[in-house]
Amino acid sequence: MTTTILQLSHLILSFTILVASLNHPGLVDATPDDDSYWLLRIKSEFIDPLGALDTWLQETSMCTWNGITCGDDKKHIISLNLSNSGLNGAISQHFSKLTFLETLDLSLNSLSGPIPPDIGNLGNLKELRLFSNSINGTVPPQIALLRQLEVLRIGDNLLTGEALQNIGALSELRVLGLAYCNFNGSIPKEIGNLKKLMFLDLQQNSFDGEIPEEISGCSELRSFAASNNRFERRIPTTIGLLSSLQILNLANNSLSGAIPPELSHLSNLKYLNLQGNKLGGEIPVELNGLDQLEILDLSRNNLSGNISLLNSNLKNLEVLALSENLFTTIPPNLCLKNSNLHHLFLADNNISGGFPEHILNCSSLHQLDLSGNSISGALPPSLDSLQSLTDLLLNNNSFTGEIPPQIGNMTNLNSLFLFGNMITGGIPLEIGKLQQLTTLYLYDNQMSGPIPRQLTNCSSLADLDFFGNRFSGSIPPTIGKLKNLVNLLLRQNELSGNIPSSLGYCRKLQRLVLADNMLSGSIPPTFGFLSELFLITLYNNSLSGPIPESLHHLKNLSIVNFSHNRLSGSIAPFSGSNSLTKLDLTNNSFSESIPTTLSTNLIRLRLAHNSLTGGIPLHFSQLKQLQLLDLSFNNLTGELDTDLSSLTSLEHFLLSNNRLSGPIPTWLGRITELGELDLSSNSFTANIPPEIGNCSKLLKLSLRSNMLSGPIPPEIGNLYLLNVLNLQRNNLSGGIPPTIQQCRKLYELRLSENSLSGPIPLEIGTLGELQVVLDLSFNQLSDKIPSSLGNLMKLERLNLSSNKLEGEIPPSLGKLSSLHRLNLSNNHLRGQLLSNFAGFPSNSFLNNDGLCGPPLISCSELSLKARKRLPESQIVGIIVAIVFTSTLICLSLMYTMARIWWNWRKVAISCSEKGGFEQKKEGEDWVYGEEIAKSSDHHFWNSNSMALVPSQSKQVSDSDTARIFQFKWSSAAAKK
Amino acid sequence: MATIELLLIICLTVVSSVPAARGTSEVDALNAFRQSLTDPDKVLENWDPNLVSPCTWFHVTCNEDDRVTRVDLGNSNLSGHLVPELGKLEHLQYLELYKNNIQGTIPTELGNLKSLISLDLYNNNISGKIPPSLGNLKSLVFLRLNDNRLNGPIPRVLTGISSLKVVDVSNNNLCGTIPTSGSFEHIPSNNFENNPRLEGPELQGLATYDTNCS
Repeated sequence: MTTTILQLSHLILSFTILVASLNHPGLVDATPDDDSYWLLRIKSEFIDPLGALDTWLQETSMCTWNGITCGDDKKHIISLNLSNSGLNGAISQHFSKLTFLETLDLSLNSLSGPIPPDIGNLGNLKELRLFSNSINGTVPPQIALLRQLEVLRIGDNLLTGEALQNIGALSELRVLGLAYCNFNGSIPKEIGNLKKLMFLDLQQNSFDGEIPEEISGCSELRSFAASNNRFERRIPTTIGLLSSLQILNLANNSLSGAIPPELSHLSNLKYLNLQGNKLGGEIPVELNGLDQLEILDLSRNNLSGNISLLNSNLKNLEVLALSENLFTTIPPNLCLKNSNLHHLFLADNNISGGFPEHILNCSSLHQLDLSGNSISGALPPSLDSLQSLTDLLLNNNSFTGEIPPQIGNMTNLNSLFLFGNMITGGIPLEIGKLQQLTTLYLYDNQMSGPIPRQLTNCSSLADLDFFGNRFSGSIPPTIGKLKNLVNLLLRQNELSGNIPSSLGYCRKLQRLVLADNMLSGSIPPTFGFLSELFLITLYNNSLSGPIPESLHHLKNLSIVNFSHNRLSGSIAPFSGSNSLTKLDLTNNSFSESIPTTLSTNLIRLRLAHNSLTGGIPLHFSQLKQLQLLDLSFNNLTGELDTDLSSLTSLEHFLLSNNRLSGPIPTWLGRITELGELDLSSNSFTANIPPEIGNCSKLLKLSLRSNMLSGPIPPEIGNLYLLNVLNLQRNNLSGGIPPTIQQCRKLYELRLSENSLSGPIPLEIGTLGELQVVLDLSFNQLSDKIPSSLGNLMKLERLNLSSNKLEGEIPPSLGKLSSLHRLNLSNNHLRGQLLSNFAGFPSNSFLNNDGLCGPPLISCSELSLKARKRLPESQIVGIIVAIVFTSTLICLSLMYTMARIWWNWRKVAISCSEKGGFEQKKEGEDWVYGEEIAKSSDHHFWNSNSMALVPSQSKQVSDSDTARIFQFKWSSAAAKK
Repeated sequence: MATIELLLIICLTVVSSVPAARGTSEVDALNAFRQSLTDPDKVLENWDPNLVSPCTWFHVTCNEDDRVTRVDLGNSNLSGHLVPELGKLEHLQYLELYKNNIQGTIPTELGNLKSLISLDLYNNNISGKIPPSLGNLKSLVFLRLNDNRLNGPIPRVLTGISSLKVVDVSNNNLCGTIPTSGSFEHIPSNNFENNPRLEGPELQGLATYDTNCS
């Protein structure tokens, strides 16, 4: 026991000494005169996870330590190189004590914090390399004190501020590297003092201003890279004096003006990159003097005119990039037979005319990009003289004619981009010789004929896109030979026949797009081998039969769209992939119930227009990524008893046209992302839950054609973004809640065919965006029409018919300048119609208590009838006659009324607004404005506008006459 | 001499030109519009350009053939400008972009919207001229351009749109005279007010109406 304590105390003691020896230099042999003293302090400030400083031990000679070179006195170091040593932490300020240092290299570590200002004390420093760390802050001005400095490389850090302010003081500099930081400010004139500067790299900063003319003072400069900054104005002509320059990179700045011809004096220039500026004018012909030039990139400028570059002079040119300019022609003598030009990029210019055949002289070309021009005419058969070509990009031009069969001789071809042209004809059979071809894009052309079997000899093919042509016939049955195929896109062609089962042997397939064709037959079970398959779309074909069971094996399947086919059976095979994010099977003949498990990664699930049965599976509450769920137009039954409030991302919830029953669940109120809720045409009962008011992002809400009862909850007013509210055809009762005024964005409001009572709340008049329709017809609404409805200046249709509205029509309604459908019939309205109403057809006003004036009979006629008196002597006799005949008349009238009512009812059901215009089949009401779309007649609005009687009224002429009779009868009744 | 910093950026664009996923042109058109807009209230958040059709995008309505008939982005706190691509929505009937902060001009291409019934651009910051191409909108009924910064004359071709029922160009900076013929016959005068340089109804048969106005 005592020994243990002794041992322990000994241990603690020695540990204390150890710690003390690290922290208290007094205990160490070294003194501040000795660099090792400072180096050990520096060591203690570094974090050294890789042990790069493990050899830095007090008991060994400093001169043996890693990274250190001692001076002759062995007490001072002249070089410290800890590049790429995994060091962390800040740069110690004690570095400033190493005053004999000539070289300090801390590059390629993970150092942070600022550059210590005292670094200015290192008066002997010749090389300072701090690049590729995470050093932040600004460059201390004391750097300018390092008069011996030849190499300063501090790029690829998080440094900011003006780094170049005092740079002129460092006249010994050979290398200055400041790239990939966040420096700003401009290049000072004093840069010209750096007579020995050979490498200047300012790339990827925020330097701005003009490049000073004085740069020419740097007469030794070999490489000047200033790309990706904000330099502006002209390129100084004095750059032409930098006769040693080999590399000039000013890409991606805002330089303007012309390219100075003086650049042609740079006789050593190998690399010239001015892309991504605002340079204009022509390319100076003098540039042909740059006979060392290998790479010239002038793309993405505003250069125009003729391309004056001649390969006869630029013998070493390998890359010529002139894309995204305004060039109009390619010079006929661009290439010599023995040129070195490998890459020629002329994309996105204004080159027109036929294919520039002289380019075919550029036989050394590997890549040719003429895309995005206006080149027309046919592709020349002699294209195959470009024997070395690996990439040919002719897309987005106006090429016509056919692909020449000689294309088969271009056996080095890797990529062939011909999309976005007007190429016709078929694919030449010779294409099968292109064994290197990996990418073939023919989409957006007018090609036709079959896809030749020979194409399946191109064994390297990985990407095939024929979208938007008129290829016909069947997919070659040998397609399975394309073992390297990754993407097969044949959408929007006229392909027919079966999908070949060999396609299942293209096992690398990731994207298979056969949509918008005329394919028939069934989906081959071999698809089960396509284990890499990520996306498959077969929509808009005539495929039938069941989904093969084998699709269950496709674990990577993410996007599936088989909509608009005639597929049948169960959809269970899709439950195999938990990668599935989008599944669209709309408009097929799938039956059976929805599988109990589906991918929990589903974002969109569309199963509408099938014959699915059963209910919504319990498992759906796990589909937490779901944004769109469309199960409408099926045969789903049961109640919504699965709580789906866990689907917190759900935006569209569409269940219309099923046979769902029970109450509308209150949990819907917890799906707060909901933007569209359609439960229409089901058998939902009971009240509208007030919780629906919590779905504050709802834009469209339709509960029409159910059996809902009770009041419209006032909470509906919380749906302040609502555009469309449709509660039509239920048994709703009570008043229209005035809170509806809060739904300020409503443009369509339908509450018709309910039992709503009370007055029309005048607040409806504040819904100034109401546009498509305000339909309150077939309710029990009473009292006067509020004059506030006259504020609905955008309203195009107003239907208040078949209510109990009374009093006069407010004059304000006459000011509704957008209104073109109005139905106020079958109410108790009275009074003279304003002249503004004369343009509406009479059936807009029929069957009220006492309306008169155009389009109805004139009020004077009405009052004349009312004033007719009979001689008093006959009164008694007439009273007797009246008592007798009125019974008779009343009976016959009642009979007529009943008949009219039934006719009227029939018409009403077939008329959406009862004002006499077409009703769409049920379920289409959710689509807006379609009745206008349907009318191919462009004069629709004319022929049906206020001034004219709608054509529809002819079709209902039977009930029309009946209504006129009704009107006369009621005006006769008004006599009493 | 190590030249890590001296990496030269050679822009070989050839390999990067992989075709983007192609939707219908209507997706592209609406997406182009979205790209030009700033949308602080995120009303366009669910506009997924990878979908085949834009019919499940909020504020977009389609007909039964999945063609766009309505774009409802009124009062949505949007800024930015209109784009020519909107002219590709050939079944569009309602373009409701009122009460935003849309700037720039009305693209000529909107004249291609042959199904358009309503063009509601009122209460924005739109400048430039009313393009005469709008005269091609043979189905147009509602043209509300009021409360913008439009200048130039009211194109006479608009009077030839026989379906036109509502025109409101008040509170702009239009000039010339107010047309009175054709479909403009019944447009009330207050729909032209507050255009300081717009002169009273033109007198038929007199000299050209657009003096000092171009």
